[in-house]
Amino acid sequence: MTATSEPEAALGVLPRADGSAKYSHAGYTVTAAVNGPIEAQRKDENPYEAHVDVIVRPAAGVGGTRERHLESILQSSLSHIILIKNFPRSLIQIVLQVEDSPENDYVNTKLVQGNLNFAIMPALFQTAVLALLSAGVPMRATATATAVAVVFHDGVKRTVVDPSPREIEIARSVHVLAFTSHDELLLAESEGDFIVKEWDEVYETAKKICCHSAPADDGMQMALDEEAAAGPDMRHFLRSTMESKVAADLYWK
Amino acid sequence: MATISSAVGEDQPPQPSLTFTRPVFAKLSPHPYLLHTLSPSDPSVPSSRTNGRKPQEARKIQINTSSLSQAHGSALVRTGDTTVICGVRGEILPVSSIPQFRADQHKNYNYDGEDKRIEQGKKELLEYDLLVPNIELATGCAPQFLPGVPPTTLAQTVSTRVYSLLHSAGIVDVEGLRVWYTPAKRDEDKMEEDDREEEELEPEVKGYWVLYIDLLFVSFDGNPFDAAWTAVMAALRDTKLPNARWDPDREMVVCEKGEGKRLDVRGLPVACSAAVFLEKEHAEDREGDRHWILLDPDRQEEGLCKEVITAVVDCSGGQGETKIRSLEKQGGTVLGRELIRGFVGVAEERWKEVAAEMPQ
Repeated sequence: MTATSEPEAALGVLPRADGSAKYSHAGYTVTAAVNGPIEAQRKDENPYEAHVDVIVRPAAGVGGTRERHLESILQSSLSHIILIKNFPRSLIQIVLQVEDSPENDYVNTKLVQGNLNFAIMPALFQTAVLALLSAGVPMRATATATAVAVVFHDGVKRTVVDPSPREIEIARSVHVLAFTSHDELLLAESEGDFIVKEWDEVYETAKKICCHSAPADDGMQMALDEEAAAGPDMRHFLRSTMESKVAADLYWK
Repeated sequence: MATISSAVGEDQPPQPSLTFTRPVFAKLSPHPYLLHTLSPSDPSVPSSRTNGRKPQEARKIQINTSSLSQAHGSALVRTGDTTVICGVRGEILPVSSIPQFRADQHKNYNYDGEDKRIEQGKKELLEYDLLVPNIELATGCAPQFLPGVPPTTLAQTVSTRVYSLLHSAGIVDVEGLRVWYTPAKRDEDKMEEDDREEEELEPEVKGYWVLYIDLLFVSFDGNPFDAAWTAVMAALRDTKLPNARWDPDREMVVCEKGEGKRLDVRGLPVACSAAVFLEKEHAEDREGDRHWILLDPDRQEEGLCKEVITAVVDCSGGQGETKIRSLEKQGGTVLGRELIRGFVGVAEERWKEVAAEMPQ
């Protein structure tokens, strides 16, 4: 099953963009390009801060209202972590192209869908953060995101991390949470039918995935063993991706 | 300033002054003004917002239903200066127009239990697009929305959120939208045995009602989602669809004249939004910064706040814990776990206010 696979990422995949990243996890593959700070259009110009422009392009067809909503969510979250005050009157443009998304074999997929797609949000978010890092855009903190679904199956409640489209369909509630590297809750989107207690459990699960403290060099082996059961450690993944990219870039020295 | 003052009147002596009146100050630099009213220097003055409300005070809500005569259901909702009108109109979708329609899909699940039936109904609503909300903001309702332009990001975002919530909360029962037809006995069948007839006379779905839910903002003063959602709920509860039946001779769905059956609406989810106002407007370092959570923000406050939260709660189930239908928080890191938990309590209070106003 794709959902249990480890995330994969490559940085600097597009030669002409200031920064770019390709990320795939849980069946989703997203490529992002970041350009900025560049000159802003007159209408977007803000005398105090940079305008962050997020464009989401779906795998097929043109973006509709759903993509606009995803863009507005990403825009407000990313503007918070980018140091936008450093670049007044300029624009930081983030283009996210969805390349692949998992299909649900149980329903006919419609090309234009109005309802929210929660499972894709972490992939978009993670790719955007990686591309921003690759572009060297100054940021207050990095951020990690994950999707969690609460599924009732035969009367038993289960918490599913990175749910598949089928699991989302049968899920009682679906949640997307993002945390900054200071362990602060940056984004919380939930839908379905749940109570505060369930949300607390989801919060704990998501926090464990997003904010697992990066293991120290000597304790690396031990930490890796523990993680195997807990799901992917997003912060460590972000860090190791950046480390390997830097190591590859500085190889000539 | 002196020239402006002199223009006021000839009889008054011009009063050159370097201080602004309160409304001028509020317009010129809204952030310091709101900060000043929220944290007054005099401790005896209670903390309030520019609009005179307390930080956790929402605007009073007024709901009027059945004001549109041509729609099957309608509602006019007003909170402060945000006014939204919602009309629900049903149109018949014959199953022959649905590509890949499978008639057998709808037969057996009535025996599978309530949960399964609701789940199946939700899927049907989604698959055949039986609920079509649309939001119009470009009506000259606020200066920032120019009339005659393509839908703004805000309009598209609100419409996606309404659409998504309509489906995920499962408030419309698909049974109320189906048009059933039971084939009549033919004359020659009368001679045959009873049990064979029973098999033949199984009712089948011949069409669906598609509900077009149109929202029009008459005036806009912040917090569009709460008002829009309340209008949708009130309009759906007000909706009466005419009795429709399948005419086998003409092979079409015909409606009876007069008022029909009231639409079955499950639960009463109520949306409650707030924005987080930060002490420092242009600071990068937020360490030790004070903040206020402003319930039901107006247009000016929305412009000053970046972090927003919306909780949709439903307390109509009676006893037990409040059900949360949706929770959306974005744009900042002030609202952590504890504050969000507390906010659900605030949303419960708001639910009581709105439920009391909602016509039965």
